[in-house]
Amino acid sequence: MTASSSIATNQVELILRSRARLAGPINLPLVLRKSEAEGGCGVIGIASSVPIEGRHLLQSLVQMRNRANGKGGGAALAGIDPAALGVTPRILADCYLLAVAYLTEGARSEVERERIAPMFELEYTHKLPLLKSLDPAPPEVVVYFVRPNRNQLDQFAELGKLSGIDRETLEDEFVYQNSFKLNSSYYASLGEKRAFVLSHGKDLLALKLVGYGEDVFQVYGLESLRAHVWIGHHRYPTKGRVWHPGGAHPFVGLHEALVHNGDFANYASVSAYLAQNNIRPLFLTDTEVSVLVFDLLHRTFGYPLEYVIEALAPTTERDFAQLPEKKARVYQWIQAAHMHGSPDGPWFFLLAQTAPNGAGSREARLIGITDTSMLRPQVFALQQGGPGQPSIGFAASEKQAIDAALESLAGSDSRFGTRADLVWNARGGSHTDGGAFVFSVVRGAGGAAELHCRDKFGREIGIEESTTPYRGPAEIKESAAPSPGLGEIGGASAPSHDLAGASGASTPSSGPALIHSEVGTPLEAKGSVGSIFGAATAQLPNWSYQELQAFLSEVTGGTLGLSDQLELLSLLLDRRYPTGSLRRSSILSILDDALLKWARAIGESAETEFCHHEVGDPLPQASRERESVVVQARGFAAQGRESLALGVRGLVDRGFRRIILMGASGQRFIGAGLGAETEGVRIEVFGSSGDYLASGIDGAELVVHGSGQDQLAQIMKRGRLVVYGDVGQTFMYGAKGGEAYVMGNAAGRPMINAVGKPRVVINGTCLDYLAESFMAGDPLEGGGFVVLNGVGFDKQGRVVDLDSPYPGSNLFSLASGGAIFVRDPERQLTEDQLNGGQFAELRAEYWGLIQPMLEENERLFGIPIARLLERHGEEMAPGAVYRAIVPSGHKALQPEQAWVAH
Amino acid sequence: MARPDLLAQTTAKHTEGLRRGFDHWPRSADPPPALGDRRWTEDLILSTWLLAAGEDPGGREHRVGRSGGGFDALSFVALPESQWLSAGAPIDTSLELNRRPYDPKIQIPIPWYGAGMSYGSVSEQVMLSRAMAAERWSTFTSTGEGGYPASLVPYRRHVITQIATGLFGVREETIQRARIVEFKYAQGAKPGLGGHLLGDKTTVAVARMRESLPWVSLFSPFPFHSVYSVEDHRKHVDWVKTVNPDALVVVKVSTPTDIDMVALGSYYAGAHILQVDGSYGGTGAAPEIAKKNIAMPVELAIPKVHRYLSAEGVRDEIVVLASGGLRTADDIAKAIALGADGAVLGTAELVAIGCTRCKNCERGRGCPFGLTTTDPELSLLIDPAWGAERISNLYGAFQARLREILRQLGLSRIGELRGRTDLLRYSQPKG
Repeated sequence: MTASSSIATNQVELILRSRARLAGPINLPLVLRKSEAEGGCGVIGIASSVPIEGRHLLQSLVQMRNRANGKGGGAALAGIDPAALGVTPRILADCYLLAVAYLTEGARSEVERERIAPMFELEYTHKLPLLKSLDPAPPEVVVYFVRPNRNQLDQFAELGKLSGIDRETLEDEFVYQNSFKLNSSYYASLGEKRAFVLSHGKDLLALKLVGYGEDVFQVYGLESLRAHVWIGHHRYPTKGRVWHPGGAHPFVGLHEALVHNGDFANYASVSAYLAQNNIRPLFLTDTEVSVLVFDLLHRTFGYPLEYVIEALAPTTERDFAQLPEKKARVYQWIQAAHMHGSPDGPWFFLLAQTAPNGAGSREARLIGITDTSMLRPQVFALQQGGPGQPSIGFAASEKQAIDAALESLAGSDSRFGTRADLVWNARGGSHTDGGAFVFSVVRGAGGAAELHCRDKFGREIGIEESTTPYRGPAEIKESAAPSPGLGEIGGASAPSHDLAGASGASTPSSGPALIHSEVGTPLEAKGSVGSIFGAATAQLPNWSYQELQAFLSEVTGGTLGLSDQLELLSLLLDRRYPTGSLRRSSILSILDDALLKWARAIGESAETEFCHHEVGDPLPQASRERESVVVQARGFAAQGRESLALGVRGLVDRGFRRIILMGASGQRFIGAGLGAETEGVRIEVFGSSGDYLASGIDGAELVVHGSGQDQLAQIMKRGRLVVYGDVGQTFMYGAKGGEAYVMGNAAGRPMINAVGKPRVVINGTCLDYLAESFMAGDPLEGGGFVVLNGVGFDKQGRVVDLDSPYPGSNLFSLASGGAIFVRDPERQLTEDQLNGGQFAELRAEYWGLIQPMLEENERLFGIPIARLLERHGEEMAPGAVYRAIVPSGHKALQPEQAWVAH
Repeated sequence: MARPDLLAQTTAKHTEGLRRGFDHWPRSADPPPALGDRRWTEDLILSTWLLAAGEDPGGREHRVGRSGGGFDALSFVALPESQWLSAGAPIDTSLELNRRPYDPKIQIPIPWYGAGMSYGSVSEQVMLSRAMAAERWSTFTSTGEGGYPASLVPYRRHVITQIATGLFGVREETIQRARIVEFKYAQGAKPGLGGHLLGDKTTVAVARMRESLPWVSLFSPFPFHSVYSVEDHRKHVDWVKTVNPDALVVVKVSTPTDIDMVALGSYYAGAHILQVDGSYGGTGAAPEIAKKNIAMPVELAIPKVHRYLSAEGVRDEIVVLASGGLRTADDIAKAIALGADGAVLGTAELVAIGCTRCKNCERGRGCPFGLTTTDPELSLLIDPAWGAERISNLYGAFQARLREILRQLGLSRIGELRGRTDLLRYSQPKG
């Protein structure tokens, strides 16, 4: 134990004891039932190495409105730009930001008289504007920049018998207890709710009201405020006809604010645990007790973040057994001491926190933690800047919300791109990443800051490459054929970046020649789109961004047919290939622009084989010549009668067989509702797709050019789903059949309760619970199975083996039918991961089943079977690489079969 | 399977015997042994058989059982006869199932419909009997979680498609053909335990319908793996409304102590109907330990939900139906007086077609009356036309009794009874 040892045990006891005085005189009952039921929430958090404006969270929150009901929204910011609040950096770093919400007239003067003026030295007062009216009216918010009054502090130490504890700890506790008293007398103990403390940490501000999350930004002028770390939240409370802003998230400990999506089963236990430590919740919600536990463990007990996370989301099952011995011993102590304070149930926490950095300012952090069972949606992302460029990290309920924030940022600040470099899910309570990630903004003396992303164990997350991302304008001027000289590209709006240098190669010559190489222009490649793709990707490692753009201009502006253009752009988007000095995320951004340009061209011309459709247009009718339609997805609702999903259904009803959705922005249920027998319908999705995509499809083919979200292909019956990325939780829950190909990973509980004959290839791995209660017959008799390849890609686009094909504790649990064919050349998987299944040899008949699927997998993703059969670079027999997992013991009732006819 | 002619003869012989029994026993002074239990007493079973035959219950107790609690401890406070409505006064027993300002209106003439009983838990013939009765009365029956047998498709306007946590047998076309879609989050007979069909009942045909493996026990998880919060719940409803935009949505839940919160969450998720399922119901396959030890009695849950939704100001936008062991018209009336809008019936319909509560429902060949069987020969004991007639007669008798209760309370519409706990009296059970 490192950090904790610096705090004397008796100091912890002194602080805890001093809090007994708090609950006592005010005579607060210990309430073990929460006053609110919720669970519905949409959350997003951002941490950036440069301060960013709050408005970049707006579109994310708007697109997650279907996770809320307008009864509570909130935000917190940390690592605030001092100028925005009118203070010096020194004041911001040294003072507590006591932000008080005033709900009634007259409350302010009373609160100031009783709880602020006598208690603190007031450095500065900042009243936030009220820029928008809402019903109920948002509270008036005043931020007081304060230091504890010396006399009061001495008195506090004396009364609380706290003399001898270090000054900073004493000041923190003074502020904390003062706010508790303020909240007790002005909010919790009165019939009338008059005022409460929104936040009181250093360099941290939390705001909340009754409304949607984005309302907070608009009401208090956060849109133009700049900070390094932001969290935003919508909630979905259901109880109560009158809502109070005090119930909305975030809730604060001291130097942290927490927003939460979930619902605990053990509120009473957690409250009792807090009560044992003399902490009484005042607002009676899960979120409040969560942050109180966090603050207790972190500030009072002095646990390092790793141990705090362990106490909240304990490492369990096989993951615990995988821990190093010393760590396991510490974790065991932590679990024994704090298990009943550990929230039980589905939850995902996001925190904004600040901590001293020893250099006169504070480190601002964004922390995301998932529960051990991963029952709430969660996704993390990182966009890593090149040398001298900013980096930015995200954690959110949905990937589409992150995409929306990136689009907003990149649209106004050329230092950011529209695509993240890494997008991943945390594996809750695991030995692999611990189910939590911490983004820290470390500010140096000169104001320059660095962003670090680390998992629970402190391991740094990032891309190991020296590529420079493209941060120029999104497109080349239309008149640019032949391709423009480099000087014109991007120079005007991004003068500070040496774009030519980004190629890392010798300065290319200008003009069309720049995309030529010794093997000629890729477009001159004879034959299919595939050969153009081959030629282009062979040359691409030597290209600069300008050369790539010039090539794409030729693709979309040249003689290639529209279908071929789309096929080529899709291949470039979907496949992995070496990118030389170019950043893959930047290439994807540039391709996104090329695709939009392609779609715009179709919208502008009536003479193509594609129809065009956008929101507000009457639904077009397909004809024999025009069975394809390009839909501008932006603007369609996420659900309901005006939804994109029902729009797609309308187009299928009007005879369209190929539907291309461009620029999707998180809309749900795409492909659902088409009904039975939809062979021949193909739906391609570009942009950010939403939850429940391909649910219930029965014959149709869905292609996702990128990652999918949660609940994909629920009850899928027949047809095909291809995902050029990862899929989220409960993938193919209750599926009956069909084929699915996933290029990357699946999150928790894929294929759960699936029956019939679904056949799936997952090239990466799964978080846990793969094919639980799988009932998909006998694969050799037409039943279903999962092929799990356990591979990923390196920077060169080459297939590489993952550390483990399946790190989870539960594989094929309670399964009675079907099979898993897992590529496990090192025989890493063990019996203890199975519960109801058993390992079996990969019989030739099994290989006969999976080989055709792997051939299709190779065609779709460029993952060669020959590579999959390799072990240490040597090609092996399938049975030496793949293992079968089949049900054990499910035939116990077979003799009974005699009693009834077939 | 036996030779067809022999099978027909055997079936005819047994059917004849059973039906004679259904006619004979209610009129006999000596009821058969081992009939019923304290909740479903001999008298209740025998009077239900009489009602199902289109007759009056004679002198048999047809209103309450002897459980010593629940609905058996409640009775209506009689109004002086002078204040009764006149004998021929029109009394409206209809119920509108959609109280939202949008989506199609569906009115049923009687304030109840049939509960979800899956293909597998009961035979296809039983499902058909119930569907035909539902059609005759313009009300509904529910598929339960075991697929949608093709023989039910002609009755689709009266069949609710259930989507339960195992998602067994749920496909887009089964959602699309339904006017009402039911999410079964939990059931009162086994709250928190999901669904459970033992391997013995999972015949080849049952497994084919669910696309699972024969002779393997089928567990539906608890809860839905895709629903852990109210916004997931709303997303779930939105999904069904994408597949079938005109469908009304029922949310079936058991009676946990926070049923009030669950009810409100369901309202916000967009449900039209909330089915509050108590623990007195379920077939004999439901584990006793769950029935008797988990969740609240339904007669406590109903007023809790009713009052809570009223206090929240949303009570008149959602229909609340009570279920779980409602045996008689009196039970239905009491549930309504406690705050429900109507009821959902399961076991009462099985009793109408011969159930004696012998509790052998978990075995494929356990049910001697061909009800909760998956045996293709045993299931022939129920002729759907005969079954539909019996259930239909029971519905008619229930409606008549319901009107009589209302008449004696001076009420001309069933809706006026809702939440009138002042009309109920709790009597300390004797013994």
